[in-house]
Amino acid sequence: MVIAAASSPAFLPRGELDRLLDLLHDDGRTVIGPMARDGAIVYDEIRSAADLPVGWTDEQAPGRYRLRQVDSPRQFNFTVGPQGWKRFTQPPRVPLGTATRDGVKVEFETATPEPRRLAFLGVRACEIAALLVQDRVLAAGPFADDDFRARRANALVVAMQCTRAVSTCFCTSMGTGPEVTDGYDLALTELDDGFVIKAGSQEGERLLGKLAPGKADEAQQASVADGVAACRASMADQGVAAEGLPARLMDRLDNPRWMEVADRCLACANCTMVCPTCFCTSVGNVSDLDGAINHTERRWDSCFNGDFARVAGGNFRPRRQDRYRQWLTHKFATWHEQFGTSGCVGCGRCIAWCPVGIDVREELAAIAPPYEEPAAPPTPAPIRGAMLDGLSPLPMVSYSPAVSQPAPLRADSSVATVRAVAPETADTFMLWIEPRDAALLQASPGQFVMVDQPGFSPVPISISRVADGALWLTVRAAGAATQAFTSLEPGAQVGLRGPLGRGWPIDRALGRDVVIVAGGIGLAPLRPTIDAVLAQRDRFGQVLLAYGARTPGDRLYLKELDAWANAGVEVAQIVDRAGPEWLGQVGVVTQVLDRRDWHGRDAVAFVCGPERMMQATVSALRTAGITRRRIFVSMERHMDCGIGICGHCQIGPFFVCRDGPVFAVAELGDLFGREGV
Amino acid sequence: MEAEITPRPRVGVVKLASCDGCQLTLLDLEEQLLPLTERFELIEFPEATSRRSSGPYDVLLVEGSVSTPEQLEEIVHLRGQTRLLVTIGACANAGGIQALRNWADEPAWRAAVYPTPDYVASLATSTPVAEHVQVDAELRGCPIDPRQLLELLTALRIGRRPQLDGESVCLECKRRGNVCVLVAGGQPCLGPLTQTGCGAICPAYGRACYACFGPREQANVPSLHGWLGKELPQVQVDRLFAGFNAWSTPFRDPAERAVRHAHGNAAEPDAAGSGADA
Amino acid sequence: MHESGEVDFSVRQLTRVEGEGRLSLTVSGGEVTQARLEIFEAPRYFERLVVGRTPDEVIDIVARICGICPVAYQMSAVHAFERLFDVALDPEVRRLRRLFYCGEWIESHALHIYLLHAPDFLGYPSAVELAGDHPDVVQRGLRLKRLGNRIVAILGGRPIHPVSVRVGGFSRAPRRGELDELRQALPEAIADAQETVRWAASLEPPTYTREARLVALRHPDEYPMNDGRIVSSDGLDIDPPAWPDAFEERQVPWSNALQAVSHDGAPYLLGPSARVALAGDTLHPLAADALRATALGGELATNVFRSIVARSVELLHALAEAADIVEVYSEPAVHLAPWEPRAGVAAWATEAPRGLLFHRYEVGDDGLVQRAQIVPPTSQNQAAIEHDLRLFAPSVLELPHAEATHRLEQLIRSYDPCISCATHFLDLRVEGA
Repeated sequence: MVIAAASSPAFLPRGELDRLLDLLHDDGRTVIGPMARDGAIVYDEIRSAADLPVGWTDEQAPGRYRLRQVDSPRQFNFTVGPQGWKRFTQPPRVPLGTATRDGVKVEFETATPEPRRLAFLGVRACEIAALLVQDRVLAAGPFADDDFRARRANALVVAMQCTRAVSTCFCTSMGTGPEVTDGYDLALTELDDGFVIKAGSQEGERLLGKLAPGKADEAQQASVADGVAACRASMADQGVAAEGLPARLMDRLDNPRWMEVADRCLACANCTMVCPTCFCTSVGNVSDLDGAINHTERRWDSCFNGDFARVAGGNFRPRRQDRYRQWLTHKFATWHEQFGTSGCVGCGRCIAWCPVGIDVREELAAIAPPYEEPAAPPTPAPIRGAMLDGLSPLPMVSYSPAVSQPAPLRADSSVATVRAVAPETADTFMLWIEPRDAALLQASPGQFVMVDQPGFSPVPISISRVADGALWLTVRAAGAATQAFTSLEPGAQVGLRGPLGRGWPIDRALGRDVVIVAGGIGLAPLRPTIDAVLAQRDRFGQVLLAYGARTPGDRLYLKELDAWANAGVEVAQIVDRAGPEWLGQVGVVTQVLDRRDWHGRDAVAFVCGPERMMQATVSALRTAGITRRRIFVSMERHMDCGIGICGHCQIGPFFVCRDGPVFAVAELGDLFGREGV
Repeated sequence: MEAEITPRPRVGVVKLASCDGCQLTLLDLEEQLLPLTERFELIEFPEATSRRSSGPYDVLLVEGSVSTPEQLEEIVHLRGQTRLLVTIGACANAGGIQALRNWADEPAWRAAVYPTPDYVASLATSTPVAEHVQVDAELRGCPIDPRQLLELLTALRIGRRPQLDGESVCLECKRRGNVCVLVAGGQPCLGPLTQTGCGAICPAYGRACYACFGPREQANVPSLHGWLGKELPQVQVDRLFAGFNAWSTPFRDPAERAVRHAHGNAAEPDAAGSGADA
Repeated sequence: MHESGEVDFSVRQLTRVEGEGRLSLTVSGGEVTQARLEIFEAPRYFERLVVGRTPDEVIDIVARICGICPVAYQMSAVHAFERLFDVALDPEVRRLRRLFYCGEWIESHALHIYLLHAPDFLGYPSAVELAGDHPDVVQRGLRLKRLGNRIVAILGGRPIHPVSVRVGGFSRAPRRGELDELRQALPEAIADAQETVRWAASLEPPTYTREARLVALRHPDEYPMNDGRIVSSDGLDIDPPAWPDAFEERQVPWSNALQAVSHDGAPYLLGPSARVALAGDTLHPLAADALRATALGGELATNVFRSIVARSVELLHALAEAADIVEVYSEPAVHLAPWEPRAGVAAWATEAPRGLLFHRYEVGDDGLVQRAQIVPPTSQNQAAIEHDLRLFAPSVLELPHAEATHRLEQLIRSYDPCISCATHFLDLRVEGA
């Protein structure tokens, strides 16, 4: 009976739409649907069919959107407005919890998602595609956004097939529409006198059974097919050449067009705000006057913002061209590698709502046109994932929502107690922290923790040793939050999340020579590696530690440097500048490497330091004969969540927090050392 | 965890050329006002208290632009008394609306406004505080936003960096769920170029942003100017920038054109002199 | 000490007033030889800044003359333009304009009564110290002030330099539900304001009586805010655009503000005391009752120190009227009426919290302003303040110097002078025919 309703479409006369709304209301759902407001179609609460925008239709062009009244009884005679459904699945602001501080004690209370039961009415095919993309991004990775999952699970999708497109629509070329094929509970197609309706889920069938509409006749069904086909046909000349686009785009990172589009781009972030799949967020604090009670919230952020890729030492994407390239390449290229799908669903919002009418279709055609025949020479593709024999594979996403864990986010930090704080150099200090939860001590070399002080942004700090039931953190007082660590007294509490990220693949170096190159504070995440090597010294070949620092006084772990030298590590130190008391080498760290030759030797290199230093080092190591697969670097990027769902730390197809921070240089390909990525 | 400043910081609030609206924002913190005075010692705030102090100040909130010889002297003196000097509002940050005179013949304007111009001492320009002394932080806006003021004071106490975003107004506009008045309404909105902080008030009230929080980082004025110029005459687009942050670097070119257009020859340097002799 | 020689009662910078001014009063041989309110607030040339601008741009710009009464500037300007362009306002928009103005009166009056003026009567340097001993008093003031700010913010986006006033109405009208918050808060605020009137009437003023020429708007059906005719205690009764026919501005060497006087050079008094005296019959019944209960009706106009009572009565009026408006409010059919610019003179006056605010704009064929004149209340009150200083000073000469100076300063504060406003004038005599 119910199944029959699903297999043969039914017809709901226009006047009976309220019956459907009543059914949804009876189920305790708030219905969200289209309304005409302030000159656009927006999604808001629909109490009855009378709230729907009868007779309104839209015209869209790059940088332009207009509503117009036409003589039509239709209630859905328009395409998409400025708002995507992400407003309801991943709202602009989500409270995460409260961090309180009472003297030295801290507490973290995580907000519990309490989503309303919603029904989305009038979801277009491209928008369903966007919801499915969001599922992959926010709910299918190793960590899932708990809040998103709860909201998504509580929303019923009532789809509306399009029989009309505007000039900015290009779902056909992205393969997402106009036909509604998946991801809905009920799907409607509007005709002049009513709706052809079908169910796409058990819940949809249950509703349809209660609604018990008559069967759609052949003419009605034909009308639907014709309408959708005409809609598809009308988009024939307004698409993008999606086939092979990711590779073509990544091959054109140096196209001068990036600069040209940056001259027009305002970096205002409107495209990312209206995009139904853009998911980047950041965490903010609202504190009381004493910093005792701190409410944290997550809010929409954008890769076009100046602070998005900023770290204490600088900004990884300072220019508009960097930001536009990041957005476009992520959306159309690296998204595929990260999530197995394009990030673009072809809704055209970014085109219409760009204040200066930049059209991604035009930019893609100009930047990454299809190769002329014969096919262009293949680009040497970066090597991804498990290419390194004996190495654990990259934790790439499995795309099965069932396997992901709820995401531990900002507010659920576990409490840890400061055991001691001691200066290390003029601007760095050691922090010994005892986590309440012993699981935090199970860190492998190169991993990091997010350290949380109520009222401050959480800071990623690499673990420089685990010993005596404590995490040893070497911290440079570079920003306000790290500065505040310096005044922590023994007994003070902080929040801790981790251990996070992928560390150094020490097993890869077993039986081989090991080259460890550190610049400045870059020695901190490498120290556990040295500890690990020394713990089984005889299982490795020659071990060289090349350590460069600005001045002799900036070197970390002075006593240990000597101890390591005595324990079978060749320690070569060099400083940028020094006084007469310094009897060692002066210069840059690559000078230590230049005179060596590892050609034909089975060496593995671990490198950490400022990015420029790492570039020079990698270049010197490669000259000396170590391949990019054998050189590992630890990357620094802005991190907010630490678990791969806020978007800040992206480099190409990677989130540094989740997929790194340690990468083989071969994995990064030509993204390593590239400016503005 | 304490800030670098003393437990109960000594705060001054002073004004130069301005409307008093930014310092009024402090009094507008109503519920927070008395708790604030328990945590900060307001040692100088002539608009609110008869108790006076010439410093030294841990924090000095400076409203207004430098527009008279006395103000120039005063701000240099105050800087010497102050650890953390914070400019509040478009006048202090960018010279204010009164900076339009910077492209005009100030003596002629003075003569046009005052029958006896030399009773009035005024500099030829109205300039931001930072053109004269070092500024440690700024709160944007005409007027400043009470939440940002509170965040600044809170951050000072906790010792964190104040969360004052440099992003465009558009983000908050979209977060609020406003419909874009530029794209859907055809209004000449400066939101994409303007630093956030106001809460995207103007578009929420159905009108175009007029950049009272000033240009954001990476403000691409030529691009938006060119786009708006497709529908509007150039002088009209120029005038959009001749507002409360006209003297800010990214807005200067169009603002100058607007002033010279509006004031014709009077704005030409070689036409000066009619009032200068008075 | 005082009897011979010259005694200087100068106050280097007046405090608890808006803007920068000083008092300069010299007594020689028991005679007041000089009484000046010196305004050293820097000039900002607003009359020039609005030249070449559209009416709507002017509304945004003139708000910046004063951070305390931006609504007043927007109101005088918008009404001037609407009158020239013959714009017909939706009746609901006209009511909203009054509600908007009520919000500013509430905010401005509560600020002055509680934070600036009350410390004078109770002997504190500021409301902060006052709050230490009388927290309930200051909290009440802050509550009232907050509600005034909320009204302006709901209608205009923010309390200072609101954004929604446009020629033809508002860029956006609130939905009825957005006023719910006010509907809930106003009854308690009205009780607070009734208490304010009783409390203000109990504050002991210095003894001082004088007759002053009073000037205010007057409207037959409503307490004067946006509409009416300019009337005076000595029989003047003119349409607001005719302000220049009755008054003129002059410059004095000691002030960056022009002073406005009657053509015969006589000072006149504006503000709450003048309005209560000239239009008290149109007060809201709640305000009229409260005023009557003080039994101070006559004294408000003759003792300037009693202005705090007049201000309190108006505070109550504004709250009561606001409550009436939000009760009956429905969303206007047309929140922004269409209009076409027209060349000519746009002139109007409205009642700012401190008194009559006159604007006059000459608009060209292109719809842009060619010339402007703005006469704020404080510039009109300046001459009256100086006149009062002369009359009042002899009565305090026997007091200790600091006490005497304080009394003189208190007299100035009684006017709630708004000095930033006062510092920008165009005298039409310069460029006039």
